[in-house]
Amino acid sequence: MSETPGTTPANNSLPLGPTPRFLTRNFGVPGIDRIEVYRQHGGYESLAKALTQFEPDALVEEVKKSGLRGRGGAGFATGMKWGFLPKDNPKPRYLCVNADESEPGTFKDRVMIMEVCPHLLVEGTIISSFATKVHHAFIYVRGELPLAERQMARAVREAYDAGLLGKNILGSGFDLDITVHRGAGAYICGEESALLESLEGKRGYPRLKPPFPAVVGLYSSPTVINNVETIATVPAVVEHGADVYAAYGTEKSKGTRLYCLSGHVERPGNYELPLGVPLRTLIEDYGGGVRGGRQVKAVVPGGSSTPFLKPSQLDTPLDYESVAAAGSMLGSAGVIVLDDQTCIVGAVLRMTEFYRDESCGKCTPCREGTFWLVQLLERLEAGHGKESDIPLLADICDNIFGRSFCPLGDAATMSIVSSIKLFYNEYLHHVTAHGCLVGPRARGVAVGAGANV
Amino acid sequence: MGEQQELVTITIDGREVSVPPGTLLWEAARQLDIEIPIYCYHPKMDPLGACRMCFVEVKGMPKPMTACTTTVTPNMVVSTDSPMVKKSRRGTLEFLLINHPLDCPICDKGGECDLQDFTLRHGPGGTRFDLYKRHYVKPIAVSDRVLLDRERCIACQRCVRFCQDVAMENGLVMMERGFKTEVGVEEDAPFDSIFSGNVVEMCPVGALTAKSYRFVTRPWELKRTASVCGQCSVGCNVLVDVRVNKVLRQYSRTNDSIDEGFLCDRGRWNTELVNSPQRLRTPLIRRNGALEPATWEEALQLVAQRLRAVASTHGASAIGGIGSTHTTNEEAYLFQKLLRAGLGTNNVDHFHGRFPAMERNGLPWVWTDSIAGLEKASHIVLLGTDTYNRQPIVDLRIRRAIRKGTRVYVVTPEPSRLDRLAAGTIRYNEGQTGAVSRALLSAVLSEPLTRGDFATKRAASVAALRDSLAHTNTEALAAFAGADATALRALAREIAQADGAVLLYDEMATRESTGETLAQDVLQLALLTDNFGRPGAGTGPLMEDNNSLGARDMGLLPDQLPGYRMLADGAALAQAWGMTLPDTAGMDYDAMLAGGVRALYVMGADPARHATPEQLAQLEALDLLVVQELFLTETAKRATVVLPAVAYMEKDGTFTNTERAVQVVRRAMQELPGARADWQILIGVANALGLGWRYGSPLEVLAEIGRLVPLYAGISRRGLGAEGVRWPFSAGESDATGKPTLVGSPHLTWTMVEHGVTGNGDGAEPALPRAHGEQG
Repeated sequence: MSETPGTTPANNSLPLGPTPRFLTRNFGVPGIDRIEVYRQHGGYESLAKALTQFEPDALVEEVKKSGLRGRGGAGFATGMKWGFLPKDNPKPRYLCVNADESEPGTFKDRVMIMEVCPHLLVEGTIISSFATKVHHAFIYVRGELPLAERQMARAVREAYDAGLLGKNILGSGFDLDITVHRGAGAYICGEESALLESLEGKRGYPRLKPPFPAVVGLYSSPTVINNVETIATVPAVVEHGADVYAAYGTEKSKGTRLYCLSGHVERPGNYELPLGVPLRTLIEDYGGGVRGGRQVKAVVPGGSSTPFLKPSQLDTPLDYESVAAAGSMLGSAGVIVLDDQTCIVGAVLRMTEFYRDESCGKCTPCREGTFWLVQLLERLEAGHGKESDIPLLADICDNIFGRSFCPLGDAATMSIVSSIKLFYNEYLHHVTAHGCLVGPRARGVAVGAGANV
Repeated sequence: MGEQQELVTITIDGREVSVPPGTLLWEAARQLDIEIPIYCYHPKMDPLGACRMCFVEVKGMPKPMTACTTTVTPNMVVSTDSPMVKKSRRGTLEFLLINHPLDCPICDKGGECDLQDFTLRHGPGGTRFDLYKRHYVKPIAVSDRVLLDRERCIACQRCVRFCQDVAMENGLVMMERGFKTEVGVEEDAPFDSIFSGNVVEMCPVGALTAKSYRFVTRPWELKRTASVCGQCSVGCNVLVDVRVNKVLRQYSRTNDSIDEGFLCDRGRWNTELVNSPQRLRTPLIRRNGALEPATWEEALQLVAQRLRAVASTHGASAIGGIGSTHTTNEEAYLFQKLLRAGLGTNNVDHFHGRFPAMERNGLPWVWTDSIAGLEKASHIVLLGTDTYNRQPIVDLRIRRAIRKGTRVYVVTPEPSRLDRLAAGTIRYNEGQTGAVSRALLSAVLSEPLTRGDFATKRAASVAALRDSLAHTNTEALAAFAGADATALRALAREIAQADGAVLLYDEMATRESTGETLAQDVLQLALLTDNFGRPGAGTGPLMEDNNSLGARDMGLLPDQLPGYRMLADGAALAQAWGMTLPDTAGMDYDAMLAGGVRALYVMGADPARHATPEQLAQLEALDLLVVQELFLTETAKRATVVLPAVAYMEKDGTFTNTERAVQVVRRAMQELPGARADWQILIGVANALGLGWRYGSPLEVLAEIGRLVPLYAGISRRGLGAEGVRWPFSAGESDATGKPTLVGSPHLTWTMVEHGVTGNGDGAEPALPRAHGEQG
């Protein structure tokens, strides 16, 4: 790792400069959401290149070589995922683009790709379908994103009109249909098997695994499911080649990511930066530092389903491995900054409410546990809690973590467990002083930790 | 076991068990009698993995695993009581209980509740939850018969999966999400299924309860008797739940070959039959034109005296008997014995479908395959049936077959609830089932579509049959029936190419105007297309009542003795009974009602209910009408003497269901005071006639049946076991206690059809098929 955040020694020798824009090159071009403008700026040239210069299997190899990993949260190697599709299954294959972006703190797929540059996703979908020998792809858009859905639907329509979808695309003999589907509004449908259930017209409940979707997916057929950002990166890999893409990032986390910076910073927003960019660089150089010159209290690095990082961990490089080593997860790269006037119990309560409300209700620990956690946090936050509530919270989390049906239950425990670990005294303060330690409802004198009141 | 090498051996709690690959850990543990608590899992449904109750620890796995979704792998080491398992299960139970109301004292499920039981065995002793529970209005009606208490629901989805996956009917669905999850009914899709009661039984808690059972009893006050349902011809295995001589419900008693542990709502909740205050409690004698109470002694003496009087004035042939399709085999047997041996007449019959008379010892008209065999069929063709209403649990099995890929054709005059799931439906005019079946047969003969062993070996008969149908064709017959000829021809072709087709018709469809040849035509259709003699192929009637087949088996027929013996072969029976038997065929049901007899003895039947005005007049003109009944039926109202009988729950015996399974019926409660079981009444009449019958119980009658009825040779209550045996049966190996067992026949072959199953066939003259018109 480099000593100086944001500048690697090799910067000057990098093919596209220190901060390449694989995804956001055309961000800000007026009318880039229309096919004519997109094509004027080099759009669909990667598709033409893919169809003319690659065999499908070679494309899969190229993506493997690029080191591209899933941008939805788990970070699984994309090329390898494609390779899991069974070779001899007589059923049709499907590609599902997971555009159910709902993770709190995450707004990259919606804003940067679907709303602003929908054709990038269409192009990526066509190339990825060609690589995986899919002839019907689905884009599952989160129910709460009507604009994104309209943009995608129009882009797909334009692509059909331009002969980029349908039969014999660009004379290659390759056929593909894309269906844009808007969900009914459920966080759980971002879980890949629940997405498939929903797409099939059923309730959004996660499925038992195995079998995995690669073998038994949509309509019981082999299915690839990838995040929007993952698919939208594929044209850049084709355009620049795997080696150029892999020249960025770290040894195991290649390329760039769209970091969603939100919370108490001066300039929240989406930033495309190479993987491994230090957290501090993102917050200070790009985000303009903490709002009002305050101090960082805690950072959620990868959406609300990831544990907090402390101010002392601000130099953590934002790549999968480094964040994991720091005790959290890069997840969806939804970086939420909490300043020193944030009541941590209140913040955790807000996040936990989200999981309570979004729990699908299929399994007992998540359904009942999140209900209980919220009530306990409400009581603590309001200053009516008991000291025993704090270990009880932790034990309830222990009974949810690893016991729930899908990762949603695990996710719900992350902020609670890590905040109790990092901010035990602030929890205790709510019990002893019957109010918050900091913020507008601060009450009493702080115990132990520095008094911010 | 020969397949020993294919088994997977694993260790659970230090004990080894070998099970087939793919077995779930839950099932493997059960084989070691290790209980793994479950809520969402149900052995008859696919695993869900939702309740998170069945945690076990698998060596090498960091997290606890759910035993209901984890299959065995070789050398797996499993613990069901490690600290991790105990904490996880306690955690789940604590979660389930935070929102569960503490209304166990007034909960119908209390005492048979899995939440109570598992909390006792695996749960925390207390709760750490001191906040606010969810509250709902309770209960709400989700149907006319079922109530839902949402506060008690643990969202295991058993009920919802039953409705959607097993019953495949509209019904309960999951609504809302997260902690607001509730079970409910969509407004435009009412929960009106005949299978609805199963959700009450499979609900692990008191969320779904029966309206009829609400606040009625505690489960430990119930006397539970293993018996067989008497509501229809399926013969589902039940537990009759009785409290102080009142039947409160029937619960399932899983018999995988018949009911798979499911019951229809009629079987489960129709307690009116036995609990009704309208039941007859004393014998009635007609005096001065009105029926008046009498003592048993008076009534029995009067019956005997009047029967003797008619016999001496008009001869034995002036006496007739109509037996029952509801009473036990033992009672049916005694009834015909009373008529034949006691009164000297073959005027014995019952209300039944129209089946051609048997020749020699051919196979009687039965379903040649089995209920379980339906799942193996590639095609099921239903002719004139209404399985959903008449044989609901057969209907449920057809639905399971559909899930497995079986193509079902519903060929009926009226739309049915199976139509939606069927591969095809063919409609025709009411009363034309026979014409439609003949149209199918005609297509098979004319195209021709015949195939298989039978068609080859009986080529001459096939040719004769073809000639006899030469004057007509599929199109003409279809037009006559108002059916689509093209669809019928396509169906005939599919039947002829099927891996295995089961062709079923309703017994009562044979009574329609074109039904005379129905049974025979469908049998020939199955034989000529080689859909016979193996599981998942065959044909036969779906019988009307719980013992319709038993009534026939026991000889409630004017031209055949018990076990379908010809009258001419009655010597052995006559010798055993110590009587001479009449050797001419008696009058059948219609002839008796047409004024053929002066005295009519009716047991458990109600001919007046479906009688013509002329037949009613004849009933009223009889010198003597004796009726054994539970209620004052239309027939009983016209009787000279009414003898109050009891329902099947009040007596012992055996029933034979529509797929030939002979099953044990057990007395679940005391007889209604004043009423007597039909077998007791028959003995009373016989002894009043001076016949000196000495049967002490139905068991002794069954023993006589085992000695004298070839089809039931060797039958014993113990041999029938807990789940019954399908005839023809043979003696099996002795059981662990050295007692004899019986081995049943899952399906019948065409050689059995021709020569019978009793070993008396001479093998020369095929009894079937007969060309139509050969005999009247």
